[in-house]
Amino acid sequence: MDSLLTEAFLTSLLFGAVTAGVPLLLAGLGEQVSEKAGVLNIGIEGMMLFGAYAGFVAAYCSGSFALGFVAGGIGGALVAALVVLLCIRYGLNQIVIGIAVTLGMEGLTALLHYFQFSRTYPRLDLAPAWALPLLSDIPVLGRALFTHNPIVYLAVLLVIALGWLFRATYIGLNLEAAGNKPAALDAAGVSVVKTRAFAVLATGFLSGIGGAYMANIGAGLFVPFMTGGAGFIGIVLAMLARGRPVWVLLGAALFGISLAMTTALQVAGINIPTDVVQMLPFAMVMLVLVIFARHSVLPPALGLPYVRGER
Amino acid sequence: MNTRTLKRLAQVSLLALAMGTTTLAQAADVKSIAILTPEDPTDYGWNQQGHDAAKAVAEKFGIEFIPATGLGYGDVHPQLREVADDGASLIIAHASGYNTAAPEVGAEKGVPVAIVDRPDANKAGAIADYTLSGHEGAYLAGVLAAKTTQTKSVAIVVSGEPPSWNSQSAAFAQGVKAADGSIKVLYAVIGPAAYSDAAGGNRVTASVIGAGADVIFGQGDGATFGMLQAVETGKSTAGGKVWFIDVIGDKTAIDKGHLLSSVVWNLVPVYSAMVEDLKADTFGTKGYSIQLADDSVQLLKTTHIPDGVWGEVSAVREQIVKGEMKIEPIWEADKVRALMTSVTDAPAQ
Repeated sequence: MDSLLTEAFLTSLLFGAVTAGVPLLLAGLGEQVSEKAGVLNIGIEGMMLFGAYAGFVAAYCSGSFALGFVAGGIGGALVAALVVLLCIRYGLNQIVIGIAVTLGMEGLTALLHYFQFSRTYPRLDLAPAWALPLLSDIPVLGRALFTHNPIVYLAVLLVIALGWLFRATYIGLNLEAAGNKPAALDAAGVSVVKTRAFAVLATGFLSGIGGAYMANIGAGLFVPFMTGGAGFIGIVLAMLARGRPVWVLLGAALFGISLAMTTALQVAGINIPTDVVQMLPFAMVMLVLVIFARHSVLPPALGLPYVRGER
Repeated sequence: MNTRTLKRLAQVSLLALAMGTTTLAQAADVKSIAILTPEDPTDYGWNQQGHDAAKAVAEKFGIEFIPATGLGYGDVHPQLREVADDGASLIIAHASGYNTAAPEVGAEKGVPVAIVDRPDANKAGAIADYTLSGHEGAYLAGVLAAKTTQTKSVAIVVSGEPPSWNSQSAAFAQGVKAADGSIKVLYAVIGPAAYSDAAGGNRVTASVIGAGADVIFGQGDGATFGMLQAVETGKSTAGGKVWFIDVIGDKTAIDKGHLLSSVVWNLVPVYSAMVEDLKADTFGTKGYSIQLADDSVQLLKTTHIPDGVWGEVSAVREQIVKGEMKIEPIWEADKVRALMTSVTDAPAQ
């Protein structure tokens, strides 16, 4: 086993952990914005999937990864617009619509893939990476943590930006009011519908970028159903984080590291059932849930449509 | 023997003859063959091989072909009923996830069904299991990998542990070790039923490449394409090329120069045997297999394999075909993992 613990292996494991964690981070942050505003956005799996498809098509056709991420974000936001229309404008059940959106996007993207790529399975080249000066020279950690596509650094910066937005701006205050006491927000002259719509569109945009990252960086291609429940894990992370973006970052990192651990244990030939090893990421998340989420406070108006004048 | 007894005997004989004729007529009555696949038949793998083989068998016997593809991994009772109502004489449920629903609908509609991964479910005239394994071909792939690796380390990456893949993983490892006992064989499962997890396939493959492997034996459906991308964009720890060995289908058409080979399955003999068994009224009384001897399993020869190496692999193939070497399938995941542990722990060169 010692012979396996080479710098190259450890680097690839940690690099893989980051690659696996970034889509969850983006989806979790997106979900957090929606939940703050009182919208339980179950459909982020579908938004990720469509973002993955749109992002891959754009990157493949243009040769630009940056354009791929923009397209992924727009694709996710377009799906989110459907949720805005049905759940916020018409007040339909958020859980039912969320499930429908996910199933619908699974079917749509599989169909589009079938017509466009199912006989060629095009694959992208390696994405460009930025090596952060000095930090990228650190053995093992440098290549694994500080040599990534710029979108990874932007995702981490977004954690700080959202923390500031939630705490120190009127936008954050409005989002919180839309989730806690929408009637008070309405009385203050701020549109609850617009605030929630903005939140859901932002969720779609971030989830779409997460999906595009998964397709363009994580896999280098698009295949049907490829998000494999990442959106739902993002929802769990957002619930655990209790409105604090940095907790989403920690949760995503924990999940990514656990996934890398499953590979490490198997490659090392540890003779325990693979099923047990593969439970690790999910068990870790559940453990954290049990320890920390007991005190989680969700917005009182979460999942409820807002109707002016209704008690 | 009096006249009355003779009459009785004649009546019984006529009745027996009539019954026999009726049975034969029913047994020979194969008018159509239906196949249900979870994904579209364009994956250069399991779904495509199954679909194309069923179509070829339908053409061979001059019977109707009823495909139902891209059905996913959920409940397929409605689709099974639909193809049964369409008049299917045989329903091939081409996914392990269908092996509960298909026998139920088969019994309900009186249509014989073929299923996978349930060898104990065989029932005369009703259910036939065709859990297959290309383990003989996988053994050859292991020999090929051993002759190809520069880093003395190869890896098996799988997106699940169904019996067919287990037996191929085990045979691949045995082939590697038989050719060169000093080579490390790494083994990694992407995730629980991660068949379409292309990102996971890419991540795990990149990790085993980082651990030193420069030949990857990949079994993964949609996840396989993620493995391929990792192989195409990665470099071995020795700075050289990384090779990929696929299973079931032939991905030469989409190769970017890293597809070393594939353990290709031909399901035409299996489905043909099913139709013959239906005609002979022996359907469901036995299992089916694929093997090197009748070319239902082949190791794909690509232009990347040097002639000398191919000659050595072919010599091993001859030994297996002649029965001088016997490769036993290992179906259980725990036995495969135990085998991997032992081969991984073998001393490195």
